[in-house]
Amino acid sequence: MQKTRVLQRLETLQEAVAKIDGRHASFARRARSRGHNDGSIVDFDIAAIDGVFDGGFPAFALHEVRCSLTRDIGAATGFLAGLLAGCMQQRQGRIVWICDPACRLDGGQLFPAGLAMFGLDPARLVVVQPVDLKAALWASDEAAKCQELAGVIFQVKGNPRNFDMTATRRLMLKAQQNGQFIAILRQGGEEEANAAATRWHVRAQPSMVDPDIQRGIGLLRLNLVLERNRHGQTGHWTIAWNQKTHGFEHAPTHYVDRPALSSDRSDGAPQMGQVMAFERAS
Amino acid sequence: MARRKWGKSWRLNGRPDAPPIVAIAKIKNAMRLVAVDACGREAGLRMDQTLSDARALFPDLDVFDHDPAADAVLLSAIAAWCDRYTPLVALDRSCQSDGSAGGNCAGLVLDITGCAHLFGGEEAMLLDVVGRLRAAGLMASAAIADTPGAAWAFARYSDRQIITSGDHQRQLLDLPLISLRLDMPMLDMLKKLGLRTIGCIAGLPRAPLAARFGNGLLQRLDQALGRQEEAISPRLPVPELSSERIFAEPIILQDDIERTVGQLAGHLRQRFDERQLGARALELKLFRVDGHVACVRVRAASPVYSIDRIVMLFRERIAGFHDDLEAGFGFDLVRLNVLESEARQSEQGDLTGGSMRGEGFSNLVDKLGARLGTDRVQRFVAAGTHIPERSFGLLPEASCGQKDAGAQAVLWRQDNHGHEGDGPAVLTRPVILFERPEQVEAIAEVPDGPPVRFRWRRTLYRIERSEGPERIACEWWRDGRGGYSRDYFRVEDDQGYRFWMFRLGLFERETGNPKWFMHGVFA
Repeated sequence: MQKTRVLQRLETLQEAVAKIDGRHASFARRARSRGHNDGSIVDFDIAAIDGVFDGGFPAFALHEVRCSLTRDIGAATGFLAGLLAGCMQQRQGRIVWICDPACRLDGGQLFPAGLAMFGLDPARLVVVQPVDLKAALWASDEAAKCQELAGVIFQVKGNPRNFDMTATRRLMLKAQQNGQFIAILRQGGEEEANAAATRWHVRAQPSMVDPDIQRGIGLLRLNLVLERNRHGQTGHWTIAWNQKTHGFEHAPTHYVDRPALSSDRSDGAPQMGQVMAFERAS
Repeated sequence: MARRKWGKSWRLNGRPDAPPIVAIAKIKNAMRLVAVDACGREAGLRMDQTLSDARALFPDLDVFDHDPAADAVLLSAIAAWCDRYTPLVALDRSCQSDGSAGGNCAGLVLDITGCAHLFGGEEAMLLDVVGRLRAAGLMASAAIADTPGAAWAFARYSDRQIITSGDHQRQLLDLPLISLRLDMPMLDMLKKLGLRTIGCIAGLPRAPLAARFGNGLLQRLDQALGRQEEAISPRLPVPELSSERIFAEPIILQDDIERTVGQLAGHLRQRFDERQLGARALELKLFRVDGHVACVRVRAASPVYSIDRIVMLFRERIAGFHDDLEAGFGFDLVRLNVLESEARQSEQGDLTGGSMRGEGFSNLVDKLGARLGTDRVQRFVAAGTHIPERSFGLLPEASCGQKDAGAQAVLWRQDNHGHEGDGPAVLTRPVILFERPEQVEAIAEVPDGPPVRFRWRRTLYRIERSEGPERIACEWWRDGRGGYSRDYFRVEDDQGYRFWMFRLGLFERETGNPKWFMHGVFA
């Protein structure tokens, strides 16, 4: 009884603060969303992941998805597309996808038919391709200011110096004020300190075997590391994308799903030469 | 030319004691003069004279090569400058073919119907044009008459400059036939017959003239006399609306330009409100004092009419140039043209008093488009083909209206459902597609097996699992006969990377040595 009264009083105080200072709008929104969900809290429907977030995964914030190798960009984009589709179900409006020109050189381009399979409507996307990083940063800042957008994705290659703590903090504040999902998609970059609420590292993993198809590709799996989380603990999971339910599901790694590979056997033919992966082009 | 030879103050100091200047070109296998300056003309040089004859008269003749391309550039620059007088400026095409057409020099035709009073009458306007061109170092002869043909004739072959309306038919009769814009063979023929002035043929019966000289002569005659309508073809489309401001003191600062744009937009605002229109494409023309004309164009995602938004568009566009407009000594005329306009959507603010829906988004698109260029802010559109890289396109967001968005959304969704329906739900399309498929070195089973291993970007991949082939035939109506089909495979390597690869060409049916390409990356 007394607890509810304290909560009510806290809410009214937060509302009052939000009126005085717009920067604390996220408090008020969170207070309001306790009663009914307005899309600011999103569930993964995976108990293990939802558990680490204190009060649910905050959609209206700045997030970062990164991959360490360029060839992982497919996995990172797929994860982001799935996440975005989940966050956009209750939100109307367009999504601006800003692409740093350096990404286009070796990262390919978005394929709308593939995005549509992750439940993301390509017609909602606005693709912005600035000439240089400076213009890209300006464009992301402008897009974050617009209240009618549902989301902003900023695809960047490596760790550019201009895109630092200040720039990310600005994006984070605007995301909270305007109720936007803002994400950084970092292609082939190191982890670095910034203002993002969460940072995910994505890597492709061999798919789950499908008993119906012998040599076919089953449910695709991703290796997901939550490296940073402002609202709780970090973690490490393997998830799979289920095309039937249009959602991610948990696929624990200890589940032995395939026989040992012939090349890994001790009596197998030795591998010719050595495989080298060049991590970053820069 | 003169400036380069005699220094910057050549106009004030008068012509120094220098030999005549001529331009030469090779005509009829001899170097002949194609242009002579006034001094040379007085001294007896004439067009079509061979260079050796001219050198005999003036051993120290100043000679340079005729450059038609540079002349055309200069003429179009002057035409751009002439936009300050009237929107209807046409390049005179009739005598640009070659130098032989009566030795004429190229010219401009300005349709000043309804414009003359803005410059204080026809006479004042004519003096203004010639005076400003003279100040810029160009000798111009001009004439105003009822028809383009008559004005052409008077400007070149008469010293009368302004022919009062309705009087040109009588005045023309004294002019030589060459002023009818005729070609040389016809002129020679007329000369042999003793016909020298327009008056000689104007009174003759028409049928024999037509029988002897063809329709060309009568057509030119009628055009000059005003019996037949002659339309000039302006070099630029006439803007739907325009507003301009002339400054006594040229403006240089960017703030001043922005403020001027605001004022001009304010003038246009009333017209927009009367017609319930908004602008989709706008153009700002800045006339620099020295005759250079700078042009800034912007395009809006939705019809704009408010002053703030128009000013914002131009501010971003100018900021996007990275360097300032070259103001030089300043701009003395600023004009705002509306190139495209569209009916506004009905204005309906919501009851809570918030901003209109969609306004913020189109504002953002305009802003990004103005700074980065409208072709860099794009949206996906579907195309009716199965070849992956052609199955979608990116179109500028600003050019497609709001109406298209709905239809496109339906299209993608159908696409999505189609794949969802068939049997095992798998991802059949990658999220990342390479614009140009990248060739890989692959080892594959023949005739139509998946690759066993391949080398892509200097890394070796060993395939563990694969699905396919999915055959996409070539589009014979586009690629022509003999195009290869593609067999697409979804492959997964031992580390879990999933790729979309294809073999170009069917083994032994289309080609003996098919090539393998990497086309996309799955999640």
